[in-house]
Amino acid sequence: MASSSNKPELIKNGKRLDGRAFDEVRDIKITAAPLKNADGSAYIEWGNNKILAAVYGPREATPRHLADPSKAIIKCKYSMAPFSSLSEHGRTGPNRRSIEISKVIKEVFENVVMLTDFPGSEIDIFIEVLQGDGGTRAAGLTAASVALASAGIHMKDLVYAVSVGRIGDHLALDFNMIEDNYSDSDMPVAVAPRNDEILLLQMDGGMTREQMSDALEMVIKAGKKVSEIQRDALKKAYASEAKEKNGA
Amino acid sequence: MVLNMDAINIVKTNYIKELLAKNEREDMRDMMSFRAISIDNGMIKNAEGSSQVDLGATRVLAGVKLQLDEPMEDTPNQGNLVVSAELLPLASADYESGPPSPVAIEFARVVDRGIRAANCVNLESLFIEEGKSWTVYVDLYVLNYNGNLFDAGEIAAMSALLDTRVPKYEDEKVIREETSGKLKIDNIVTSATFAKIDNKILLDPTENEENACDGRITIATDKENVRAIQKGLRGGFSSKEVMDLIDVTFNKHEELKGILKKSQK
Amino acid sequence: MRQIVIPGDLVSDRIIRTRNTYTQNGKTYSSVLGMYEESTNEVIPLEGTWDPRVDDVIVGIVKETKSSVYIIDLSYFGKALLIIGKYDKFEYNNGDIISAVIKDVEGKNTIILTEPRLLEKGTLINIRPKKIPRVIGKKSTMIRQIAEATGTHIIVGMNGLIWMDGGNLTLATETLLKIEREAHLSGLTEKIKNYLDSKK
Repeated sequence: MASSSNKPELIKNGKRLDGRAFDEVRDIKITAAPLKNADGSAYIEWGNNKILAAVYGPREATPRHLADPSKAIIKCKYSMAPFSSLSEHGRTGPNRRSIEISKVIKEVFENVVMLTDFPGSEIDIFIEVLQGDGGTRAAGLTAASVALASAGIHMKDLVYAVSVGRIGDHLALDFNMIEDNYSDSDMPVAVAPRNDEILLLQMDGGMTREQMSDALEMVIKAGKKVSEIQRDALKKAYASEAKEKNGA
Repeated sequence: MVLNMDAINIVKTNYIKELLAKNEREDMRDMMSFRAISIDNGMIKNAEGSSQVDLGATRVLAGVKLQLDEPMEDTPNQGNLVVSAELLPLASADYESGPPSPVAIEFARVVDRGIRAANCVNLESLFIEEGKSWTVYVDLYVLNYNGNLFDAGEIAAMSALLDTRVPKYEDEKVIREETSGKLKIDNIVTSATFAKIDNKILLDPTENEENACDGRITIATDKENVRAIQKGLRGGFSSKEVMDLIDVTFNKHEELKGILKKSQK
Repeated sequence: MRQIVIPGDLVSDRIIRTRNTYTQNGKTYSSVLGMYEESTNEVIPLEGTWDPRVDDVIVGIVKETKSSVYIIDLSYFGKALLIIGKYDKFEYNNGDIISAVIKDVEGKNTIILTEPRLLEKGTLINIRPKKIPRVIGKKSTMIRQIAEATGTHIIVGMNGLIWMDGGNLTLATETLLKIEREAHLSGLTEKIKNYLDSKK
């Protein structure tokens, strides 16, 4: 949380700085399978975020002695390009923040991917933030789900993520960078939509019990739209396949 | 891909060589033709400049950021240029996560060399006031690999630099949302990379051609001068071969410069 | 009728035991991005690694030799073994390309091969395994069309490796890569026929 002494007013005349409603998520566009070499991939533009997710696998686990003969191992690497930030040039290489994000995202997919279908293998997920503007882990995870599906990986569900937070007395969805820096509480949430099961939840700041309950409800409600966008991206990439087979 | 890479590389290499014996290439190109080049500038608005280049299926994204810095001791009246590269693991099944490999480092340094030697970026224009100057960071991000990073990277770096706007510096503060104008570019450098396979030389090798080659040479020129050369891998070139390839690179320079200029919005 | 299904999509209100699905609370859901065929209750994956089946023809490279077993590389995350029986006469070196047939699949990741054949000379390309049925075509029409037009001897491995020898190799390679790129587009058979005709 940034110091409150130079805190800009995030809410003016009851509206957010970018004019969005409190329960409004930024515009999202997803393209499935944009990369040639990766087994699966997805490119997402979420507000000003531009993120590329790619999947390799299942492939032979390396090093071999760390393979699990009963199931697949998932590896996940989230990183931000040095030119991704509006401000300073970033340093390359993992930092503590990106390592933690990589871990919690990996754990989401360890839940939904049917690991026992690919024993002894490794599934690698790469999330590269090319341009960041708040909520990159939610956007990256949402894209990674699509990438995994486009790689044909067996999963129980297509997971999405949205973040929610608090600015003063207001709960608001999907903070951009400025809101992220100056908000009173921020909470990214990943959901498996079939049963609305929460697979990632991180939070800091301060929220009352009632605010927490309302916040989770906001996420699930907005999540329906995010989930539709993911599904549409996959359907669009394979639309002609369906048409051809039905027409033929 | 899990395949025993040595074994499949031998098979693919034999195939490449068989084709070359008939002066053919796997994608049916001429020996001295580039693959299709496409350039998309400005997609990373957070960066001061950016460019995504496709050279065939090889895709490189270059991002440029300007950082407020101190001039170096031996050049107190100018700013600096730093070029780095990452071979992202998503670009190829053969790329691993981790610190930059010698291949990535060579790639960054060769692209840097051409741009620096040709004085493309006007370093004096980066000087702000005593003890303050801009450092221009160019980061090359490889997104999909199918051979010839050098030329894809050189075009991407050059194009991103041409696209770059210098942030405003006022009252001791950097105001990134505003610009004081475009980065001053004094020269354009272009490069051509050649692979030598069984004594035949071809331009712009694909991944399979790179794996099959004995030697490789990258030449960077501007309109009149050779600016950088990097000979790589084990094979050798004769002086005549080097001179012939320099001529080809000069010939390709105008064509590539045209493509660069056309892509600037 | 076929429709696209996404992981987690409901395929049936009752329990159906079929590949690429899972069951929960008496219902069946898709576990892949695929096409659901109502008439046969099948979910056909649109992408993904190869799903080895008994009787599949494969193309692979001999990777290792251990006592009486050859370990074959099939560009697959699991193990593929060719066991040398008492009366078997074949003898291979590491790096040899072979075709073989799947005799058995054990425990989801171990493949037992049989009927090996040495493939000498020639070249190999990788195609995404889920596109292989398109490469072969209905009743092998597509692959035969390519072999005839190019004069190339082609053996297609269901694992995504294709061996080719002789004839117009560049055209054969370009055609196979074209099918891989455009496998999901309509009118492919016609397109490929026209493409091959134009190169005559």
